[in-house]
Amino acid sequence: MKTDQFLRYTALAVMFGVMALAIIGKLVQIQVFPQKEEFEKLNQYHSYEFRTLEPARGQIYDRWGHLLAGNEEVFEIGVDLASMRNPESVALMASTLLGKDYTETLNAIDFGEDEDAPYLYYRLADYIPADKKAEIEQYIERIDQNSEPGTSANGKTHSLVGVVFRPHLARTYPEATLGSNILGFVSQENLGYFGVEQHYNNLLAGISKSVWVSLDPNLAAEIPETSTGASLVLTIDREIQASVEEILDKAIQSSGAEGGTILVMDPKTGDMLAMASNPRMDLNEYWRVGDFFKTDQPFNLGVHSYEPGSVFKVITMASALDSGAVKRNTTFLDTGAINVGGITIHNWDWGAWGQQDMTGCLQHSLNVCLAWIATQMGANTFYQYLRDFGFGHLSGVELAGEVTGHLKLPGDGDWYVADLGTNSFGQGISVTPIQMLMAISAVANNGNMMVPHVVKSVINQDRQFEVAPQIAGTPISAQTAHTLTDMLAISLEQEASVALVEGYRVAGKTGTAEIAGEGGYTSSLTNASFVGWGPVDDPQFLVYVWLQKPTTSPWGSVVAAPVFSEVVNRLVVLMDIPPDGIRQAMVVP
Amino acid sequence: MKVREISWRYFDFWLLGAVALLTIFGVTMIRSAIAGNLELIEGNTVQKQIIFAVGGFVVMMLVAVIDYRLLAALSRPLYIGMTGLLIALNLIGGALFGSARWFRLGPILIQPSELAKIVMIIVLADFFTQNQGQMHKIQTVIRSFIWTMGLTIWILLQPDLSTSVVIFVIWAALLWAAGLELKHLFMAGGAGLIVIAVAVPLLIVNYDPENDTGLIKAYQIERVLNFIAPEEEARYGSNYNVQQALISIGSGGWFGQGYESGSQVQLRFLKVRHSDFIFSALSQEFGFTGAVFVLLMIFFVIWRCLRAARLAADTFGALLAYGVAALFTFQAIVNVGMNLRLLPVTGLVLPFVSYGGSSLLSMLLGIGLVESVVLRHKALEF
Repeated sequence: MKTDQFLRYTALAVMFGVMALAIIGKLVQIQVFPQKEEFEKLNQYHSYEFRTLEPARGQIYDRWGHLLAGNEEVFEIGVDLASMRNPESVALMASTLLGKDYTETLNAIDFGEDEDAPYLYYRLADYIPADKKAEIEQYIERIDQNSEPGTSANGKTHSLVGVVFRPHLARTYPEATLGSNILGFVSQENLGYFGVEQHYNNLLAGISKSVWVSLDPNLAAEIPETSTGASLVLTIDREIQASVEEILDKAIQSSGAEGGTILVMDPKTGDMLAMASNPRMDLNEYWRVGDFFKTDQPFNLGVHSYEPGSVFKVITMASALDSGAVKRNTTFLDTGAINVGGITIHNWDWGAWGQQDMTGCLQHSLNVCLAWIATQMGANTFYQYLRDFGFGHLSGVELAGEVTGHLKLPGDGDWYVADLGTNSFGQGISVTPIQMLMAISAVANNGNMMVPHVVKSVINQDRQFEVAPQIAGTPISAQTAHTLTDMLAISLEQEASVALVEGYRVAGKTGTAEIAGEGGYTSSLTNASFVGWGPVDDPQFLVYVWLQKPTTSPWGSVVAAPVFSEVVNRLVVLMDIPPDGIRQAMVVP
Repeated sequence: MKVREISWRYFDFWLLGAVALLTIFGVTMIRSAIAGNLELIEGNTVQKQIIFAVGGFVVMMLVAVIDYRLLAALSRPLYIGMTGLLIALNLIGGALFGSARWFRLGPILIQPSELAKIVMIIVLADFFTQNQGQMHKIQTVIRSFIWTMGLTIWILLQPDLSTSVVIFVIWAALLWAAGLELKHLFMAGGAGLIVIAVAVPLLIVNYDPENDTGLIKAYQIERVLNFIAPEEEARYGSNYNVQQALISIGSGGWFGQGYESGSQVQLRFLKVRHSDFIFSALSQEFGFTGAVFVLLMIFFVIWRCLRAARLAADTFGALLAYGVAALFTFQAIVNVGMNLRLLPVTGLVLPFVSYGGSSLLSMLLGIGLVESVVLRHKALEF
C-alpha cells in the first residue's frame, strides 16, 4: 500500500513536473534566449512609431526674389484610438467630409465593445489645406458642443473626441503654371519630379531624419533638429517668362502648332531669362500630370531633341568661316543640285539661285550652297567644330530630363558621307534648343560659348552662393563671331524679314525642318524654328523659337520669325534696352 | 469527536507568508495594469481587490480555527446549498443580474462557481474518506462521478466550461489519490477514446457549415483551429491577445521594463492584463526574474499544501489539503500555459495574483482549510 501510494504521487509529480519544466523552458525561450530579440523588436513596433522628419523644403525664387515655389502648412487628420469615444461618428465624418469609405474606415478603427483600445493612431487623410481643416473643425464643434448630438447605430452618443490634426508643410506654387516646365513638382513623398525640383532634389529637400517616437504620452520624446533644405534663386525673370509664355501660347494658337518652346538667354552670362514650353500645367495639382502630358511627351521641349533644320546653317557657316574654308565674300554658283556621298541635294524651292556670296547663301537658306561649304571644309574639320560647339553632349543646364540629341560622327556605324551634306543644313542630326542656344552664344558673345544655366544662386544655411558664369569653350574667334552676326543681320534686312524689330538691329536665321517618320521624311508637317540675337553691336539677348508642326504654314520664316520679333519687342521694354540710335548716342566717344 | 486544543506552534506561517506576498504582489500589479483605463479606475478595481484580500484573510483565519472535521459533517448541506444556489442562478440569474455566472451584492459581483470548487473539494474528500474500503468497486467511481456531475452540470450550463473542467480535474485528482484501481483508469480511458472516436466524426458529419447549425458552433471550431494554426494578423480575439502576451513576456527580458513602465501593458496592447493575462503583464514589468519569483512562490504554496496533506491526522484532512494543492497546481499551470501559448485560452486566473474577488476569496478559503488541517496534525512531540 505504501509503495502504491508512493507510485501514485510520483506519477502525478512527474506529470506536473513536466508541465512546469515546459513553462520554465518556454519562459526562457522567449524571455532570455533565443526569441527575446524577436519579441523585443515586435514590442518596439507596437509601442513606437517610426517617423520621418522632413525639414522644410528649400524655396525657389526668380532672379528678382519673387517666390516661384514655397511651402504652406497643411494638415494630416487622424484619430487617436485610445481617446476615441465613438468610432461610428468618426467613420461617418470621414465618409462625408473626407470621401473615405465608411465601412473600411470603421473596420480599421473599431475595436468593438472593447473600452480598452490601445494607443494606436490611425491616419484618416493627409494634405488637408487650412480652409478644409476649418470646415472639419466646425463640423466637430457642431457635434461635440451639441447638448443633444444624437446616437449612432451602435447606441453610443455621437462624439468626435479623439480626432486630431497634425500640421506639416507641403509644396505650393503661387504662380501655378508659370515656369512649370522649369520648376517641376514635388510628390507627397517629398521627391522632385522634372525640372529644377528633380535636378536639385537632394539640395532642396535637405536631410531628413528618421526616429522612433514612443506612443506613450508619458515618455519624453527626443526629436532631432533637421536643417532646412537649400533655397534656389533662378536666373529666370518672372516678367519675361510670363510675357514669353503668353506670346508662345498665342503663336501656337495662331499657327495651329502642336506645341512649342521659346528660350531667352543672356549670351554674355549664359543666364536663362525665360524658358517657355507648351503644354504647361498647374503644379499645385501635380497628380493631374497625366491629363496634360501624354506618355513620352516631353515635360520641357527646351531640353528635348529634334532635327533643327536651317537654323543649324549658322553653325555650319561659323565653322566654315572660322576654319577659313570660305570667306565672307566667297562666291558659289548655285546650279540647284549637288551630289554628296551619292545623294543629290536640292534647295528648299528646288530652284537654282545662280551666283551667290556667303551672305546670300544664308539669306536664301540655300541647302546646295551649305552642303558645298561642308565639303569644302571636309568631314574632319566640320565634325570637330560640331563637337567644339557642344553637340552630342548635355549642355549642363540644371534641369532634369535633358537629352543629348544624336550627333553621328565619321567612323560611327551609322554615319555615311551623305550625312556631311544633310547635317550642314540641320537634317539627319538631332539637337536640343538649349544646345543650339549654347552653341550660338559663341556667335553672339565674341566667340565665347556660355554654359546655359537656370540657377543664379543657392542659399544654404543662411549663406548665398552665386553661380558664376561659365565659359564652355571658344569654338570660334571673336572675328568670326562678329562677321557672321553682321552677315545674318544683313540677310534679315535684305529679306525684309518679319523678324526685324524697329529701332534695334538684330541677327537671326529661320529654319524649317522636315520630320523623319518611320519610313523617312514622308510627312508634310515640319518643325519651324528661328534663332536670333541682338542688338548686334552688343548682344543682350539670344532667343530661340521652335514651333512643333504648325498647320497654317510649314515655313519657319512665316510662323517662327514673327514670334521672334514679338518677343524682342517685349524684351527691350522689360530689359530696359534703349533703341540702338539712342544707346549709341549715349556712348561717350 | 472531541475538539482538541490547538497549538499555534503548528500553524504554517511560511504558507501564510507566501500567500500574503503573492496577494500583495497581485494587488500592486493590478494597480499598474489598469493605469490609464478610466473605467477600471473609476470602478475601484484595486480597492475591491484589497477588500476581498482583507476579507479573505479573515475568512482564512476563521476557517483555520474551526476543526476541519466539522466540515465532513457539513458536506451534505454544503453540497445541497451550493447546488441550490447554482440552480437558482441558472433559472433567475440572467433575469436579475444579466448573467447566470454571478449575483450582485451591492457594487460587488460574486461568482458562486469559484466557491463551488472548494465545496467540491470538501464533498469529495468526505466521500472518498467514507468509501475508503470500496475503492476497488467500479460503482464507487461511478457514484463519485455522479456526485460531481450533480453540481457541475449547473456550472456547465451557465455556460462556464473552464470552471467545470477544474472541478473534474479535482475529482480526478482526489479519485487518483484515494486509490483508483488502474483497471478502472484504463476502462475509463478506453471509454473516453471510444466516445471521441464516435463523437468527432459525428460532429463533423452533423455540422452544416452553410447555416452554422449542428451540435458544435463555428466559433468553437474556430477556437480550436486558432490554437492549432494561429492567424498572425488578427486585430483582436484570443489569438491577438496571446500574441500580445508573448510580446509582453518576451520584451521583459531579464529584469523587465520596470513597474508601471511595461509598454505593452501601459499602452493597452495586452488585454485583460489585470486578470487572465496578469502573468504577461508582470513578466514585462519585472522580467524573467519576476516571473520566476512568482512561479517559485506558487510552487512553494503548493508544496506547503502537500506537506499539510502528508502530515494530516486523518484521510479526510489529507485529501482536503491535497485537493486544494491540486486546484492551485492546475489553475496555475493552465493560466501560465495560456499566457505562454502552451495551452489554449481559457478563463482561468492565476491563483492569488489575478484580479477577481470571488476567486481570491475561494483560494484563501482553501488555504484556511489547509491551515486547519496542519494545525491539527499528528503530534510528533519529542
